[in-house]
Amino acid sequence: MERKQSALSRFLFLYLPLTLILLFLLFPFYWTFVTSIKPEQELYGRVVTYWPRSVTFSAYKSLFLDYNFLHPMGNSFLVALITTLLTLFVSSLASYSFSRFRFRGRKAFMILFLTNNMFPTVLLLIPLYAIMRNLGILYTPLALVLSYTTFTIPFSVWLLNGYLSDLPMSLEEAGMVDGANRAQAFTRIILPVLVPCLIATGVYIFMTSWNEYTFAVMFTNERSRTIPVSLKNLIGQLGVQWDLLTAGGIITIIPVCVLFFFAQKRLVEGLTAGAVKG
Amino acid sequence: MHQRKGGFWPYLLLAPALLVVLAVVLIPAINAVFMSFQSYDLRRPSQIGFIGFDNYVAVMKDTLFWQSLLRTVYWVVFGVGFQFVFGFCLALILNKSFRGRGVVRSISLIPWVTPGVLIGLMWRWIYDGSFGVLNDILMKLNLIEDPIAFLARQDTVFPAVVVTIIWQGIPFFALMLLAGLQGVPGELYEAADIDGANVFQKFFRITVPSLQNTIYVTTLLRIIWVANSVDVIFNMTGGGPAYASQTLSVYVFNKANSLNLGYASTMSLLLTAVLLLVAVPYLRNLFKNQEA
Amino acid sequence: MKRILVFAVISVLCLLMVTGCKKKDDESSTIGNVTDKPINITHWFWADNPDYSAKMQQIATDFNNSNNMNIKVSAQEYPWEGGGYSETLFTAAMGGGGPDTAAWKLTSTPLFKANNLLAVLDSYIDKWDDKDDIESNLYEVMKTAGGSDSIYVMPWNTQILYVYYRPSMFKDANVAVPTTYEEFLEACRKLTRDTTGDGKTDVYGFGMRGSTGGQEPWGSFIYGRGGDLSDFTTTQAVAGMQDFINLFKKGYVPPTAPTDGFNEIIANFKSGRTAMTIHHIGSSSGMVESLGDDVDAFPFPAGEKQWTSMGDTENVIFEKCDNKDAAFQWVAYLATGKGQEEWCKTTGNVPVSKRVQALPEFQENKFMKVSIKGAPYAGIFPILDTTTEWISTIWPNTTAAALAGNKTAAQAMQELQKGLYGS
Repeated sequence: MERKQSALSRFLFLYLPLTLILLFLLFPFYWTFVTSIKPEQELYGRVVTYWPRSVTFSAYKSLFLDYNFLHPMGNSFLVALITTLLTLFVSSLASYSFSRFRFRGRKAFMILFLTNNMFPTVLLLIPLYAIMRNLGILYTPLALVLSYTTFTIPFSVWLLNGYLSDLPMSLEEAGMVDGANRAQAFTRIILPVLVPCLIATGVYIFMTSWNEYTFAVMFTNERSRTIPVSLKNLIGQLGVQWDLLTAGGIITIIPVCVLFFFAQKRLVEGLTAGAVKG
Repeated sequence: MHQRKGGFWPYLLLAPALLVVLAVVLIPAINAVFMSFQSYDLRRPSQIGFIGFDNYVAVMKDTLFWQSLLRTVYWVVFGVGFQFVFGFCLALILNKSFRGRGVVRSISLIPWVTPGVLIGLMWRWIYDGSFGVLNDILMKLNLIEDPIAFLARQDTVFPAVVVTIIWQGIPFFALMLLAGLQGVPGELYEAADIDGANVFQKFFRITVPSLQNTIYVTTLLRIIWVANSVDVIFNMTGGGPAYASQTLSVYVFNKANSLNLGYASTMSLLLTAVLLLVAVPYLRNLFKNQEA
Repeated sequence: MKRILVFAVISVLCLLMVTGCKKKDDESSTIGNVTDKPINITHWFWADNPDYSAKMQQIATDFNNSNNMNIKVSAQEYPWEGGGYSETLFTAAMGGGGPDTAAWKLTSTPLFKANNLLAVLDSYIDKWDDKDDIESNLYEVMKTAGGSDSIYVMPWNTQILYVYYRPSMFKDANVAVPTTYEEFLEACRKLTRDTTGDGKTDVYGFGMRGSTGGQEPWGSFIYGRGGDLSDFTTTQAVAGMQDFINLFKKGYVPPTAPTDGFNEIIANFKSGRTAMTIHHIGSSSGMVESLGDDVDAFPFPAGEKQWTSMGDTENVIFEKCDNKDAAFQWVAYLATGKGQEEWCKTTGNVPVSKRVQALPEFQENKFMKVSIKGAPYAGIFPILDTTTEWISTIWPNTTAAALAGNKTAAQAMQELQKGLYGS
């Protein structure tokens, strides 16, 4: 009797909502995929088909053979990776400062960071372009890294500050009573507990830089193009190259998901690791 | 102890972040304030000059501005609201252990990984009034008789874009809250189990309070982000038809693209002011929690 | 520990700046007009599909190999982005960067000219051997667009709008190819049919474009009733708008019309949901590919007046370009040289070079014939500094409101007038 009920509650609280949410989240992705392998006549056919009657992978083939799609992917990866590492490093310092010290100007600085996120990027474009040009980093990956950090840093500082404020201060105090100094307490106690949050924030930064378009189109040329710009190049005045565009989308989505599959394990290991050491 | 001032240390730790933000953003931002008091239309560079509060007066008289502002409120309330609810559910589910959890975790991020260009186009394609799959499904379920041109009708276009932004934002909350859940000490739940608390009691008495700051911060950041987001609406409808899906940020984007930068700056400063106003209660709570 | 971290961050930032500055030096040393070094020209363009993109790269390579001035053109593709291309170009040019030459739309001319970004081409064109290979009235159009007596843009291609139709549907509905504006409206009605007998319309007479870009076919309706584009508020112009609205209200166009853009009108036409639609030759190869012989075209017929929109693409040289002579060689190659021939063959655009127009493959194409037939009464929208905004937001939104019945034809036209002319 009891086992049956727990199976029911497991269904009600786990599998049912999970299925519904996943259905909502994944259907557009499925549809993207189906579109990428449909021939054009079927795309605009009278009947909507849920699985193509004739499957074609020609779009994938031509993306790799004719358009060298790997090149912009490599660029995107490089930019996103550097941005993520740089941002995480800089913003964990800053958020530690915000959450563990009470210094003059703290609130003002926090509000400054927050306001930074509110400012629309379109108005930044012309001045930023001039700055990049004067620094001489225009059309290099650095230009993108620098412009992305302007919005990922404030965002991450706030996020990490939120997580740090939820972490019981006692953890670290206990460590410091044991004779560790503040830096040691941070690296040995706080950092391990913070790993899941760093991962989550890192994923956020990675995604934003991976998908950013407005800056990317301004600060790259043929050589340093990133994925979103290359995808957009597939949409001309004469319409959308549906097959190529959707295939390109699928190709960019999959590696990020695989990457995250390996990263997500750390999302749960954080606390156990921290607890053992603390 | 945690009231420590720390001498110059906090400033030093802050310096790198501050450097980037100030060097790159502050100057353009101050520039925007100046532009808002100027007739700054790059299409007419010879007429650029100070005009006092004329831009502000013009914005206040602009019915499109008020319409777009109101729509931004709906956009944020419904968009972020549902993102949060679904995202929280997903986070709680993903925090349980079940077979294939790792895979589910990574595939549930898909909406977020999808490039913005593709999101707009795919959803446009799904909603399409002639070949769209949504119409096909609804017709097969006998919910509607004729296809609905979702994006062409003024009454359906806005709900349609809101659904898209909800879809796109669920993984953000799921991931952020999932990370936050790892910091909740397991002993609290064990203690509650002994007291015989049910699922909902545990949720509201333990989970929510332990995640308080994380919840504040993520919703606040998300509100700001969604209020400023342009690409989904822009790629799906461009703000139309008849401005029926135009939020303030899309309006600013359109104005800035037609290079009336004075007017665009004025509107974006007003939007920033509104967002700051929204942020005040959050900040007050957050600062209070941190002082405690 | 922390000290080390902070130090590391600061040094990384310094390093970024140092390497950045060094790059800049390299860059400037390669420009300069030294004879033994190649003259580098950066050219920006957009491509409507990946084939065109590859074609442009090939044209640039051909030019680099064949010119005797050691000019090296580097062609950089930028997304069209519904016109966002021009904004990207503008931002770069205002920021002091950007290309030496670029593919162009006339509508952007006032903005760039007002900010002194474009080079005046008159003296180059006057000295040019091929000057007369381009129709002189085309130069006039280019001058008008700049709002002065100088030419800022070099003609490249034109696209003339005409009506695509499905001969088989005309036959089924017993409709003849319209020769007057009234007949055209009548055909829209007759071609709207329920072919399956379930009481629902499944073929619409006309595929209306209500989203951005729809102003071009719309203009033909205004002229059809005797109006023109200099004043939208005349009774004739309002009557033309009323015709446009009626097509939607009476259900002769798909209900999705207010947001239908290029993709949708073409998809609807190819799939047989619409019997007619208006576009230019650029889409003809795709049409033939899906419909074979069952697609043909006629010029938009005359009513009180006759007008069709001429799409345009040109090339410009930027004022900041250091080697305008070399840049001119390149844009000339695109206008009348082998570049023109190759590009028009691939894209199907109407050549501006008379020599290329006379080539057999252009003379024998039925869509090219209709395009050339439309040329005498083809025109462009008034090019003012407000035009870009008018096209991208004011026209689609105002028209959508009128189609939905929120605004009368007269109110909508008043608003359109104000948006373009300011009063």
